[in-house]
Amino acid sequence: MSDVGGAVLAVVLAAVSLGLFAVAVSTMWWMLHAWRDPETLVETGFVQEPGEPQLSFSLLVPARHEEAVLEQTLEQLRRLDHPSYEVLAIVGHDDQGTADVARRVAARDGKVRVVVDHNWPKNKPLALNTALAHCRGEITGVFDAEDEVAPRLLRVVDGVFRAEQADVVQGGVQLVNFRSSWFSLRNCLEYFFYFRSRLHLQERHGFIPLGGNTVFIRTALLRQVGGWDPTCLAEDCEIGVRLSTMGRRIAVCYDAHLVTREETPDTVGALLKQRTRWNQGFLQVLRKGDWRQLPTRRQRWLARYTLCQPFLQAFAGIAIPISVATALFADVPIGIAMLTFLPALPTVAMVVFELVGLREFCRVYYLRPQFSDYAKLVLGTPPYQILLAAAALRAVWREARGHRGWEKTSHAGLHRTAASSTVAAGTGPAPR
Amino acid sequence: MLLPLVAVVTAVHATGIARWPGFSDDEGTYVAQAWAVLHGQGLTHYTYWYDHPPLGWLQLAGLRGLAGPVLDDLSAVAAGRVLMLVPLVASCTLLWLWARRLGLRVPAAALAVALFGLSPLSVAFLRGVYLDTLALPWMLGAFVLAATPKRRLWSYAGSGACFGVAVLTKETMLLLLPALLLQVWQTCDRRTRAFCVTAFGSVLSAVGLAYPLYAALKGELLPGRDHVSLLAGVVFQLSGRAATGSPLDPSSASAALVDSWLAIDPWLLAVGVLSVPTALLVRRLRPVTLALLVLVVVGLRPGYLPQPYVVALLCLCALVAAGLADTAVGAVRSAPGQPRRLVRPVVALLVVGGLGAALAPDWASGLRTATTVDANEAGRQATAFLAERVDPRARVLVDDSYYADLVEVGFQPQFGVVWFYKLDQEAGLDPSVAERLPGGWREFDYIVSSPVLRSALEQQPDSLEEVRRALSSSTPLQIFGTGDGRVEIRRIVGEGTGSGVPNLAAP
Repeated sequence: MSDVGGAVLAVVLAAVSLGLFAVAVSTMWWMLHAWRDPETLVETGFVQEPGEPQLSFSLLVPARHEEAVLEQTLEQLRRLDHPSYEVLAIVGHDDQGTADVARRVAARDGKVRVVVDHNWPKNKPLALNTALAHCRGEITGVFDAEDEVAPRLLRVVDGVFRAEQADVVQGGVQLVNFRSSWFSLRNCLEYFFYFRSRLHLQERHGFIPLGGNTVFIRTALLRQVGGWDPTCLAEDCEIGVRLSTMGRRIAVCYDAHLVTREETPDTVGALLKQRTRWNQGFLQVLRKGDWRQLPTRRQRWLARYTLCQPFLQAFAGIAIPISVATALFADVPIGIAMLTFLPALPTVAMVVFELVGLREFCRVYYLRPQFSDYAKLVLGTPPYQILLAAAALRAVWREARGHRGWEKTSHAGLHRTAASSTVAAGTGPAPR
Repeated sequence: MLLPLVAVVTAVHATGIARWPGFSDDEGTYVAQAWAVLHGQGLTHYTYWYDHPPLGWLQLAGLRGLAGPVLDDLSAVAAGRVLMLVPLVASCTLLWLWARRLGLRVPAAALAVALFGLSPLSVAFLRGVYLDTLALPWMLGAFVLAATPKRRLWSYAGSGACFGVAVLTKETMLLLLPALLLQVWQTCDRRTRAFCVTAFGSVLSAVGLAYPLYAALKGELLPGRDHVSLLAGVVFQLSGRAATGSPLDPSSASAALVDSWLAIDPWLLAVGVLSVPTALLVRRLRPVTLALLVLVVVGLRPGYLPQPYVVALLCLCALVAAGLADTAVGAVRSAPGQPRRLVRPVVALLVVGGLGAALAPDWASGLRTATTVDANEAGRQATAFLAERVDPRARVLVDDSYYADLVEVGFQPQFGVVWFYKLDQEAGLDPSVAERLPGGWREFDYIVSSPVLRSALEQQPDSLEEVRRALSSSTPLQIFGTGDGRVEIRRIVGEGTGSGVPNLAAP
């Protein structure tokens, strides 16, 4: 190799390594926010106004080909502990099976109504907007068709709205079926760190990409901003960004006893599609540029960083081994070679923190971690990184090619415990 | 309170810093290695053989670079000593912070800093260019951060980083890990403890792993036929060094070393070590007491006891003693039903006065020696003589404190000015010297017989054979000073000796 070539390679490697190091450290910073000191940990919980509930709620449940899980979800929702709420099941005009299930529950309880969405093609934001017109509650909440909702949730959210003068309350969501596949454990932990820790830092800095469910927004505000963006693949993130930009007060609360339980995608393919959709949605929000109206420069940088983060993280996972390998095989100065290992350090540390997170996760969800879980977590890291990188690439590719179709995640009810699934026993698995 | 105290301590240390105590070989070595770093010659002036992790003299080189031409008038080791005021000031400040974070009241924290900074033993050792002194602020910083009152996650991570740097500066600091872990554990909140301990541990290992990574990238991690290796260096430090025995055995070299410490100042070490059993009963003092206890126990085992081992002991002794005093005062204050108004000042006066009266004469005479005696005059004269009167092409065998200065005035590095230890073929620590100078002592024109060189010969009667021959085959050319402190410049004479440089001018 020529001297000039060697020098260029050394400079490039050094720059890439420092960049990757910055990405890895910032990812870790966000991941560990909740535990930065005991006071912060306490702040991440629900702060509620005491007293009886005073608000009324409309809970939207968009369901498409969800006859396997919807009935149980609606049954649970109609038994929530709150004096004033309604449940709106949103079904497609072409989806008779799901509609039948929804109507059956509606017939048993006046609290449950069925809204038929006639839009075509179908997607979640369109369904939500259709139902928004029918909402009677002061607060509109969103749940997915497979969600397990804590009975006390509404009562507590009611208190948070009053205590924090909030316009939006985001509750915790947790994937729980962490032993159903090799990636489900990683997937569960991602949610754990996201809702337990990361969202709270976003809240502190006033820029929150909201989650897809267990999110509650004042109905009047929702109508004022025109509901969800039907062209966006991450409508939840998008509306969060819009409301953040308007300076609306968004409260993020986490309590292990009040999280909404969900299931992981059941196959690698489904996970890949789900991630592609989210990533592409983030890209769309980035391109749409509402965040440019955020008041401070710091917030705008945070917006850029947040919306790019899935891509940064995915590429870092791939780029770190490549840069280390380059440094080892190409003859670069020893200082540069050592520098290429720098980003690997926080990355490895993150895996260790995930092990600690797994222990914490198991503790708060009353599970007993096994050695095999820890092993799976560590061994699953490289393939999971590759998967994330693939989803990131796929998202960029699809967005560039203009493929904006909605790739929906299907649900089998793996997160439901045997005891709680007796309600659903009547509905057999439906073809999808 | 802190500022004037640190100013006084610094003034005492700075007065006569280059004159007393006499330069040691270790100081010369670290200064020469820092010199090699600054001049782009790699990590050391000879092959780096993983004797110590390099971070200490890298810091020294950094400080020297920052100081720039300000110190150019001083000899290399003297300049190094002036730079040691930086870790001194940092250590005093951090010791204060640690004391405050452990809940010591201001007077007690001041007492800790004063005991540590003004003990003649501290002056004797913290003036020296030793890796231990460079590691000290990092070690104290690790404890200060671990004692974070807000129990911040990133503070624990910072603590791990500091401790990693401390260990890579002087590896013996690793002995304090259990005490530091105890400090981390004690301050942690139960709910965030797992994350805090993980942050501490992963940052510490990340920093620590940089050292073996460096060795591995150079292909020097494991021993091989004709290269140095990290593993061989570690094995040498752990078992290869000639044991100096246990200080408990009065005839051992370790006992002599400890005696020499106690001769300079018996008080600080005695008060500190005697406080240990009681201080262990006080929860907040347990980490620092455990640190002291570990160092004492390890120091008492038979094995190699390094000279500057005392450096870390000093600040721990000071803090344990001051902490215990603070606890005692607190206990007296809160004791109910006593005529406190009268008793308290009397007790305080008795304790402080008694201790002061006992300390004062010893410390005053120790500090007088430290600030007035010049133990390096002969060495300076010898360097000047060599620089002015001896042909710089000549090959000279010296102790390491002469190395950098002679190279600065034009002598050839590595194989022109040769550090006498490198001639010890038996140890086989540096193959390059044996290869380049196959004739051993015969390849030299001059030998500088300094106190350092003579005491090395005395302490290691079974090795350094080449140096002994060089000495016995030489005649004195010029002698500076008298007695044990004298420095002789000797010409090596005899058949087939000399560097063979043609027309070497005779002085």
